[in-house]
Amino acid sequence: MNSIDPRIHQALDGEIARESLPPELRRVVDRLESAAALLAAAFPPQGAGLEPRVMAAVRRPAPSGERVRRLLRWFATPQAVTFRIRPAWSLALAAAIVLLTLVPAEERGPALGEHEGIAQFVGRFPDAHSVHVAGSFNDWRTGTIPLEDRDHDGVWRATVVLPTGAYEYMFVVDGERWVPDHWADRLVEDDFGRENSIVIVRATWR
Amino acid sequence: MALRPGLILALLASPLAAQSERDRLEGRVPAAAIPTVDSLVQLATREDLPTEPLVQKALEGGAKHQPAGRIAAAAQAMLGQLRDARALLVRAGDAPPATAAEVTTIYAALKRGLPGPVVERIVAALPQEPRGSALHAVADLATHHFEPDSAATLIIDAARQGLRGERLLDVSTAVLHEVQRGHSRAEAVAVVRRQLPNVPSPPKPARASVAGARRPGTTTLAPP
Amino acid sequence: MRGNPSDTEVVARVLGGDREAFGLVIRRYETGLLRFATRMLGSRDVAADAVAEGLVRAYRHLASCRDPSRLRTWLYRIVANRCKSYLSRRGVGDVPLEEAPPVADSTDNEASLERAEQLALVAQALARLSPDKREAFVLKHVEGLSYQEMAAVTGERIPTLKMRVHRAREALLQVLEDHA
Repeated sequence: MNSIDPRIHQALDGEIARESLPPELRRVVDRLESAAALLAAAFPPQGAGLEPRVMAAVRRPAPSGERVRRLLRWFATPQAVTFRIRPAWSLALAAAIVLLTLVPAEERGPALGEHEGIAQFVGRFPDAHSVHVAGSFNDWRTGTIPLEDRDHDGVWRATVVLPTGAYEYMFVVDGERWVPDHWADRLVEDDFGRENSIVIVRATWR
Repeated sequence: MALRPGLILALLASPLAAQSERDRLEGRVPAAAIPTVDSLVQLATREDLPTEPLVQKALEGGAKHQPAGRIAAAAQAMLGQLRDARALLVRAGDAPPATAAEVTTIYAALKRGLPGPVVERIVAALPQEPRGSALHAVADLATHHFEPDSAATLIIDAARQGLRGERLLDVSTAVLHEVQRGHSRAEAVAVVRRQLPNVPSPPKPARASVAGARRPGTTTLAPP
Repeated sequence: MRGNPSDTEVVARVLGGDREAFGLVIRRYETGLLRFATRMLGSRDVAADAVAEGLVRAYRHLASCRDPSRLRTWLYRIVANRCKSYLSRRGVGDVPLEEAPPVADSTDNEASLERAEQLALVAQALARLSPDKREAFVLKHVEGLSYQEMAAVTGERIPTLKMRVHRAREALLQVLEDHA
């Protein structure tokens, strides 16, 4: 296989303008783009497409383990609930709510300050034994913020309270392998030959 | 010579601050790199440039097991980039002195690949206020192959219509959503421009997520 | 659902219990996913199986899609993994071309025939690439993903992906020039 002029790659990667190429290189770019266009020729759906088949599976009851997980997720997700109560009981209910607000806050999760928010870190590492996140929010310490894979599906998660702002970070797999968050849109060179991901933490309750 | 109390405190604090920076590096950064990083931190202090990014870069290099020379080189390069960031603020017409936060914000925007003239435009258009979100919003669009100058125009227009801070990130998010729906980049920008200033906000995280959140440095979770 | 809801809105509805809303996700993305899987696996029928399995898996694990605004990338990742499973089960690098994919213009004229021949040539060249290079080329030039999106789909670093795309381009160009 022959290497081609690197300017062709640069033009196809959008790093230089195609117009800046000499005509013979522009022709090569055109050939490759035409080939790609042929491959990208629309695939009209056959019949009703995949929707009936996929929705049939979606409507089927999930396997038992999955059912329990989904039930737990349902309980964890806010649901709209409508009450109809007699006026006399509404006072009692209001009093109960006031009492409930006096329950210690730590039983309801951390109280967030005005300039704090939530960062959710998720990464897929099916063969990992441990995953941590390290970044400019914790002085790049590798063992202090672990992710968890509670349902053993290879997807590791952590939810962290941080002051609002932008931070650079990477995942550390099995205590030694540094991996950028490929699900993050924002990447920046780390000046050590790799890329850090960037998370922007926004105020949660504003 | 009589010294004002504030100046006395600043003079006393300076070596204390320098010592505390060195303490942060000890044991975490290769010993051979510490004198160089330390002298760069002191240089930054004398030039009224932010020092925290330099310390963070050294800690990062140490955590990633980088050799001392590479850490020193990265910190050296960063000092130059911080100087460039401050020079950009001056060119854009910001009244001195530039705060550490402002210099760091501009440095981060340039690091994300935004051209200097585009960053200058944003700075000039948003005087006397934080520009971090605006710059990240423009950088987010540039990452998705939007022309940076056009992206900056949209964000500046959104700011002129009253959107501020994190809400400017919602503008870039809305544009990217429109691209996902099949619009061209130009169409996506036009759609969102018509929505301004009422671009949708992101949903708040579920209370269950917040309830399960940890602060860094609190009890580490037991493995499953 | 009214209008053209965003992926974030659709995902929120599905997770809120409206499973029928997932139909919108299927309609929105099946064409691109099917095209991608067909180019990876060489057979539209096999590709349909892979994409259907991938979409069902996406439904069952939708809560783990951390950022619904990047649903498209997440779906491509799932389908890319399904394709890898199929290819590893088959145990071959080359992909059989069981059928010629449809060409947009079906009129029986010379230009259309020439396009069909070119397409067969290119598709054959693509099938001869290693799965990694084929995947990289298809994601970049057929599905139009950015390198960062490709990194999210494949789990690979951007420099690695660029190298694969470059090698794929060189291989395709060689085939096109040999048959010019």
